[in-house]
Amino acid sequence: MDFLKRFGKRLGFMVLTMIAMSFLIFFLVEIMPGDVAQTVLGQSATEESVAALRARMGLDDPFHLRYLRWAGGFIRGDLGESLYMRGVQINTIFWRKVGHSIILALTALLFYVPLSLFFGVLAGVKAGKVTDSIISFFGLATMALPEFVSGIILITIFSVRLKLLPITSIIPIGENLWQNLNILFLPALSITFVMFGYVSRMQRSSMITVMKADYIRAAILKGMPRNYVIFRHALKNALLPTITIIGMNMGWLFGGLIVVETLFGFPGLGSLTMSAIKTRDIPLIEACVLFITFIFVLSTFITDMMYAYLNPRIRFKRGDV
Amino acid sequence: MKNWFLQFKQNPRGIVGLAVLLLWIFAALAGPAFLTHTYTGMDMESQLTGPGVNGHLLGTDALGRDVFSRIIYGSRSILTIALMTSLLSSIAGIIIGFTAGYFGGTVDTVFLRIMDILMAIPPLVLSMVVLGILGNSTIFGLTIIVSLAYTPATARVARGALLTCKGNEYVDAARIRGESHLYIMFIEILPNTIGPVIVEITARFAYSIMMIASLGFLGVGLQPPTPDWGMMVIENKSLILEAPWTVLYPSLAIASLVIAVSLFSDFISKVMIHEN
Repeated sequence: MDFLKRFGKRLGFMVLTMIAMSFLIFFLVEIMPGDVAQTVLGQSATEESVAALRARMGLDDPFHLRYLRWAGGFIRGDLGESLYMRGVQINTIFWRKVGHSIILALTALLFYVPLSLFFGVLAGVKAGKVTDSIISFFGLATMALPEFVSGIILITIFSVRLKLLPITSIIPIGENLWQNLNILFLPALSITFVMFGYVSRMQRSSMITVMKADYIRAAILKGMPRNYVIFRHALKNALLPTITIIGMNMGWLFGGLIVVETLFGFPGLGSLTMSAIKTRDIPLIEACVLFITFIFVLSTFITDMMYAYLNPRIRFKRGDV
Repeated sequence: MKNWFLQFKQNPRGIVGLAVLLLWIFAALAGPAFLTHTYTGMDMESQLTGPGVNGHLLGTDALGRDVFSRIIYGSRSILTIALMTSLLSSIAGIIIGFTAGYFGGTVDTVFLRIMDILMAIPPLVLSMVVLGILGNSTIFGLTIIVSLAYTPATARVARGALLTCKGNEYVDAARIRGESHLYIMFIEILPNTIGPVIVEITARFAYSIMMIASLGFLGVGLQPPTPDWGMMVIENKSLILEAPWTVLYPSLAIASLVIAVSLFSDFISKVMIHEN
């Protein structure tokens, strides 16, 4: 019952956030300098044709009306028409790029979750020893690097020196991502660099906390094999905070994709957002940013629910949540 | 003070971080005086020359500009903006977070909800969109926008710090004495939260460097001809096979600075936690 209550509350907040964000994004784009119709038609357009286009696009309507029309379109799944690529429905290009980004994000997840869990547990168990110092230093360093810097370092090693992987992640015309899976490696590794630091640090500190708990010490003192205690008893409890961090960072990861995709030229949501900003393609900017926000809010929501579900102290708690 | 020296001795990483940071600050302040090339000076005789050739320590880029000089000049803007951003966002965060936490009740609830909503958009995405929309970024514009993007986070930290002190006797004493709210917040409480505040400022400094480098890389940072580390990376990226130094050295400059600042900020947070 409490779980349902929490679910409803968070869901409500999620909807509220999305409404507020959509308003903010719409407002931001609204204050963009320059006249949209003029931009579309070019500097040489006559005043009459600009006025005609303004009327046709409904640009003369008051702010709230345009907002409602735009937001209404979103709810119906209509993302509008691109300004830069005249006549192209955003829906026709948007979802394929989102799909690419999701595949990239999942590939990165596949790399960094096992790696950072393993090294985080190792550092936590060996806290204070040399192994721990090395892992912690590496984590701190990779976490600090912007994605494009680790990307350049990876390109230098794997593409320039070893000539193993492509420098750019462009899909040749007429082919799809599945025929070019090798382009995923370096972008995913660049993301792994940043995420490794966060996740392994979290895993390390929660491992240290759990290892100090009475029931773990009791198990070890009772003579149970140390590794058994670590993997069967401690890890189970030490994973919970890490899961939260991984979930919370999913949305953040989507923001980081903008940098990674720009570096590698990977055809995903990030490079689409970037090119939308460069070409001042207002409807496309709105669609991209709102979607990134949505992923962010959704991942926070799912993480929160998962945390509540996995943590019996919350799941079975009575009274107010 | 003595305690600090002791802490430093136990944390070689902190020393290394501070040393590299100071080196970069020195390079930014005094470096240009020693340079033989300017950052815009084009040497048409030697485009894309390798490191060490014709007096170009780290080589030249496609326009024949000296990479080393551009890196040294570039350190000025990134350090300035990052420093101002970390200070500004922390000050704004303290004012907002303290007000919310101090008065509590409805003010606090409304504050928390607004911050939660604003934090639903990644700071990098927010800054990128705003800068991209406004166009032509300046040092001032970058500082303001990145600070704004960070304020929800700093305000939450400040609020948390205030709440740990709010219940103390000296706060009640001041209130009974009839001190004003402002006096209590900033003269009584602020000095007692200085630990977490300093930790936040140094951590923010590291994040800001990351952010500003990334914004430059995305092309919404400082505009040419001002040398910007992030921009140097993206504008030369296609030359990575032909002239790797044009891309690699700016990247390493960013790497050395952010890692140094992170090590230093990690050290600061350890010292502050230790003291409490």
